[in-house]
Amino acid sequence: MKQESEWEPKLLGFLCRWCSYAGADLAGTSRKKYPANIRIIKVPCSGRVDSLFILKALRLGFDGVLVSGCHPGDCHYQTGNYRARRRIAITKRFLEYLGVEPQRLQASWVSASEGGKFSEVVTDVTQGLKEVGPNQLFERKKNGAKAKAGSKGTA
Amino acid sequence: MEQKLRQEAKALLEQGKVDWIIGFAPGSLKFTTTPLITQDKDDAEQLVINPFITNNLANFLTEIKGRVGIVAKGCESRSIVSLIQDNKVARENLVILAVPCPGIIDLAKIERLVGKDRDELDDITRDGDRVSVKVDGKKKEFPIAQVLFDHCLACELPTPQEYDIILGEPRLPAPELKVSGQSIASLKEMTPAERWASWENELSRCIRCYACRNVCPACFCQRCFVEETEPQWTLPMPHWQDNLIFQIIRNIHVAGRCTDCGECERVCPVNIPLRSLTREMYDIVGELFQFKSGMDKDALPLMVHYEQEEAEDFFR
Amino acid sequence: MNKKVSKKDIAQLLKTWSQQFNVLAPSRDSGVAAMAEWDGKDTSFLDWYRNTVVPPKASFLPPMEAMFRFRKDEEGYQIEPPAKNGQKQLLFGIRPCDARAMAILDMTFEDAYKDPYYLEKRKKAVLVGLGCTNPCESCFCTSMGTSPTDPTNVDLMLIDIGDHFFIEEVTAKGKELIAKTSGLKEATKNDEAEAEKARETAYNKVSRKLDTEGIKDNLLESFDDEDFWEKVAAKCISCGICTLLCPTCYCFDINDELVKGEGTRFRSWDSCGFSLYTKMPMENPRQEKWRRVRQKVCHKYEFYPMAFDVIACTGCGRCIRLCPVNWDITQVIESVPARVKGAK
Repeated sequence: MKQESEWEPKLLGFLCRWCSYAGADLAGTSRKKYPANIRIIKVPCSGRVDSLFILKALRLGFDGVLVSGCHPGDCHYQTGNYRARRRIAITKRFLEYLGVEPQRLQASWVSASEGGKFSEVVTDVTQGLKEVGPNQLFERKKNGAKAKAGSKGTA
Repeated sequence: MEQKLRQEAKALLEQGKVDWIIGFAPGSLKFTTTPLITQDKDDAEQLVINPFITNNLANFLTEIKGRVGIVAKGCESRSIVSLIQDNKVARENLVILAVPCPGIIDLAKIERLVGKDRDELDDITRDGDRVSVKVDGKKKEFPIAQVLFDHCLACELPTPQEYDIILGEPRLPAPELKVSGQSIASLKEMTPAERWASWENELSRCIRCYACRNVCPACFCQRCFVEETEPQWTLPMPHWQDNLIFQIIRNIHVAGRCTDCGECERVCPVNIPLRSLTREMYDIVGELFQFKSGMDKDALPLMVHYEQEEAEDFFR
Repeated sequence: MNKKVSKKDIAQLLKTWSQQFNVLAPSRDSGVAAMAEWDGKDTSFLDWYRNTVVPPKASFLPPMEAMFRFRKDEEGYQIEPPAKNGQKQLLFGIRPCDARAMAILDMTFEDAYKDPYYLEKRKKAVLVGLGCTNPCESCFCTSMGTSPTDPTNVDLMLIDIGDHFFIEEVTAKGKELIAKTSGLKEATKNDEAEAEKARETAYNKVSRKLDTEGIKDNLLESFDDEDFWEKVAAKCISCGICTLLCPTCYCFDINDELVKGEGTRFRSWDSCGFSLYTKMPMENPRQEKWRRVRQKVCHKYEFYPMAFDVIACTGCGRCIRLCPVNWDITQVIESVPARVKGAK
């Protein structure tokens, strides 16, 4: 168990440039503390986040994904976050049905003035990931370990 | 019903009301049919309606140019309506020949029930709520709930709502949700880790033939993400991980378009229970957004529309 | 003198062979009927009505296969060949149509060029055939130069004679294996007669026929008949079932899987039915569906005969049976305009 306590989750954050990214900036300039587990990709809008980005991140071994955008009604492009909400909602529900831990896909609304909220969200999400442990969903070792149709003894 | 269909189809072609007729013709194997796509009025004689009209013909609409007369069961009509919502086909270019559908017989289920291959069966006939199978000179009877496709047992629209010509009396839905939902229910009894392992196991035998995608009327992308090379989202070889990502994203892409026609599962040559994915997505969309695909041609597509307040509970 | 083996003793026989070989037999354990490592007990496949869905070519040309690993260091790229498992495969229960398909694949992978990955497995393998007693409705092997009990392309052929299988020793490899196998019974004259009867019965049960006379020339003549090809291609959905699961189709794609400075080069099944199969930077010569359908038909019935003097189809019927839209190659061949014209 000792090893697990040393393990630190890797969280990938997709932050909308108008609100959440600015919120993260504010958290930094106002010296709010939040875990260094998050790596951030700036996107023009939360609506830009394709479900494929989320799956790809999990496939590459990120332990969790956070999508964050402007509060409903505040989207710079009027409706981008509403569309993101529908898409993330079905993605999240579907992934949970398949057996992905709910903690691995998280979403938040963080405005440019909510530096404090941003640090809280990242702290919370990181804590959640620590509880579920490393992402082993797409571990390669499983592949080929079992007898598969016609592909015995290869890859 | 068949006679009326042939007359109508022939007349449509003769009078120049349509350029094409899409329907079903007898297949080359026992208990099969095959899509008939024709401009020749004499071919109308080949049209059939029977308990084996499996294909979702709406799939062909996006590649055919001109006006089309199309035979449509309930599920096909919903796929057509969904294509109209997405501006993939124009309603005015279609003549929909509606077939009130009593459900399609799943040969795999019959094979399991009688313990024989479909080739060994002499006859399969349907009489109301029972299906009788003649094998080795003996007759065996089964209630339809045992032999129809799972998706037919969940059918909400046996008779198309959107049509021009109706062939026969409309039928009301008579769902057997308990039977049709069996496979999803047993998946939900597992722990998340078991479920994931089960999908790993199922997707491990995928050979990437893409029949599930190509047979699907809702999968109409010009180029599928799975074949993109710049960036390469998934590898083209059949690693189970990429196979699963392909199915997850495919399901997300067709959410709100999938009408639970069950074709993906039927055509899979390696028996991957794909409907346990598509139906769950269908139910998620219904539960979160009260959206049912292909019911109303004037409704906005699922991912185009939104409400001010919905699906908020998991947002921080 | 030929031998025979009791059906009850098949498990014992396979156990014996397992000591020397990696025994593969038809199995549904993976969820689909395919050749898989024999589990040490199950012989239910002996009663199967149908052939496997995944053809035995998968044991020699797997759906996905690592060709080599590579790594980049200060001196450049280091190539590391895949670990050879050195195992000799024994395919038990291969059907004559699929065995013929292996012989057809050999022409490409051995005669046309030497494919090390394929030959490594193929040369060491022993094929033990199992004659069909109940050909399917989709089978047309008797039209394609083979038959439900054809021993030509296997090392040993088993023919169902009731309680026993009559064993036909075909090749030197097969004879040697039988000589080293104890516990087999001598076949009697009566057994031999029974086997002959079984051959004939099975042969006559194949109802689907395709007259192969002149196919190559018919296709050549109708090659440019765009209307015809468009018509027959109309219902095709361009999936890969009929090609990927064809026992004689061998197209593959090559891709790298990269992980931080190292990677693996894979080859995996590909299909001429896919629109991107021929995609090149500037153009795609088979963008339209009918061109791809024509390619598939002509490769098997026209180009392969030109190159190797054999039709690359063994009548196994998989493409007919598994097709989502019942696209039937025998119907298509019969309706080739030059052929219809010739028949009149």
